[in-house]
Amino acid sequence: MSEIDRMRRHMDAELRKPGEHPDRSTRITRRTFLHKTFLTGTAVGAGSAAFGWLPLVNTIDMAFGATAQPFKFAWISDTHLYPKSVNTRFVDKAVRAFKEVQAMDPPADFLIFGGDLAQLGDPVELELGNQLLKEVKIKKVFIPGEHDWYLDMGKTWNKLFGQSPWRFDHKGVRIIGLDTVGSAPDYWSAKKMSPKERMDHMSVLDGTVAGAWSGLGNKQLQWLNDALADWPKGSPVIIFSHTPLYEYYPPWNFWVRDWREVHEIVRPYTSVTNIHGHVHQVLYNEIGTMRSIGMLATSWPWPYAPTGVPALTKPMVRVDPGDPFDGVGWGSLSFGAAERIENDYMMWRQDVLAESQVDSGTGDNVNQILSPRIADGMWPY
Amino acid sequence: MRLHGKRYVVLGAGAFLLIVGGLAANFGAFAHKAKHSPATLKAFDEVFMEQVRIGDLLFHGDPAMQEEFGVTLSKTGMACAMCHPMSADIHPHEFPKFQEQMNEFATLRDMTNWCIEKPNEGEKIDPNGGAMKALEAYMYWSNRGSKLDPGRH
Repeated sequence: MSEIDRMRRHMDAELRKPGEHPDRSTRITRRTFLHKTFLTGTAVGAGSAAFGWLPLVNTIDMAFGATAQPFKFAWISDTHLYPKSVNTRFVDKAVRAFKEVQAMDPPADFLIFGGDLAQLGDPVELELGNQLLKEVKIKKVFIPGEHDWYLDMGKTWNKLFGQSPWRFDHKGVRIIGLDTVGSAPDYWSAKKMSPKERMDHMSVLDGTVAGAWSGLGNKQLQWLNDALADWPKGSPVIIFSHTPLYEYYPPWNFWVRDWREVHEIVRPYTSVTNIHGHVHQVLYNEIGTMRSIGMLATSWPWPYAPTGVPALTKPMVRVDPGDPFDGVGWGSLSFGAAERIENDYMMWRQDVLAESQVDSGTGDNVNQILSPRIADGMWPY
Repeated sequence: MRLHGKRYVVLGAGAFLLIVGGLAANFGAFAHKAKHSPATLKAFDEVFMEQVRIGDLLFHGDPAMQEEFGVTLSKTGMACAMCHPMSADIHPHEFPKFQEQMNEFATLRDMTNWCIEKPNEGEKIDPNGGAMKALEAYMYWSNRGSKLDPGRH
């Protein structure tokens, strides 16, 4: 049995206790319909026409067994902006997402930007993102991704977008934003890496040098414990994080390394929803009393990991590598009057979720055995 | 009788060739017939793994290695590994096959060049050149153990 399999079994044994699950008043349905903003002919519609697309929305509806008031928010993450001199493809897609969020009618209460605004943490990239985000006039909150951080260790990010973690209460929901990227074990000092070398290693998803960089760290775990201490156990909690708060696929840091401690803290709360980026793909999971929803990137889609895709995930379609707008988008989440959450995957294509194995992003995993890369382990090469 | 005579001639000639072949092998004329020592196998493996290492670097967009081969695999900042971490979702063991994006029957090398030219907006490389062979070595190595299943979509 591989180390990953051992870890996964351990997680299941620890966190999937008999009879323990997220609040069962949640129902999940999925539907596809024409995007409202297109039908109403707003600026988004015009933008979409310019791209030659009919944006279609795929929705996960959830009924939320709590006392929250209706509200709506939008999620955008993983824009991975390069300077415009290198690549405008990702800029175009980020701009499209920002315009669509701004055109939401009724407007969203706030936008959460879920990290990886930049590709290589370059202040030019972060400032570009900051300028583009001015398109969105509603309230904005931010959590960092690893691509935003490891050139200057978050200095520019914090200056432009503020520090994490943070919390606020909104219409009966406790909302928490975590930093799951800034506490990586030091892989650079002993090797005397330059800031650019440190960032380059961090920026490679399948790199082996940066190691298990995703986590909260002890100080933030204590903060999370304190942030929930006065909150009623049955009231809704939303936790935003860049990386998923459970163990999906550690070689790509599709996890936080301290998931055990995170779940120990949230376990008493019966209605916890973790919304995360980083994976660039449709994901749904339930671990203990917490459900997790993985959101799309605007930049490019990652393939599903070769193992560990949660059984509760209905996978997204295999994307067309020749179409830069395939498999990407943003998300809109609504808390409805009937205490429901609607999670709309705003993917810019007709079919979001796979209906058959041959069209599924996980369809070929049964015939795929992968090995980690080797060249970056020979430092300095 | 005449047929028997011819058979003896043919058998004799065959035996002669076998003897000559055996002697030649003993003198090293056909090296592949020699027994492989651990050192030989190690040398073979080192040749292969060096190609895997070079392919790994190219696959991850290493500028120095691209310069060494005189290739431009991308002009967008994207590297192969950004869509294919650990060469996931390439399925080299399923080529050759009809490749939908190209609308033709394609080999792995054909598809590699398509990816370089289209999504990465790079410059097509020599399908039989060193860079392509190294990329191929890396993609196959990182998918080793996967079931050979040519033609699978």
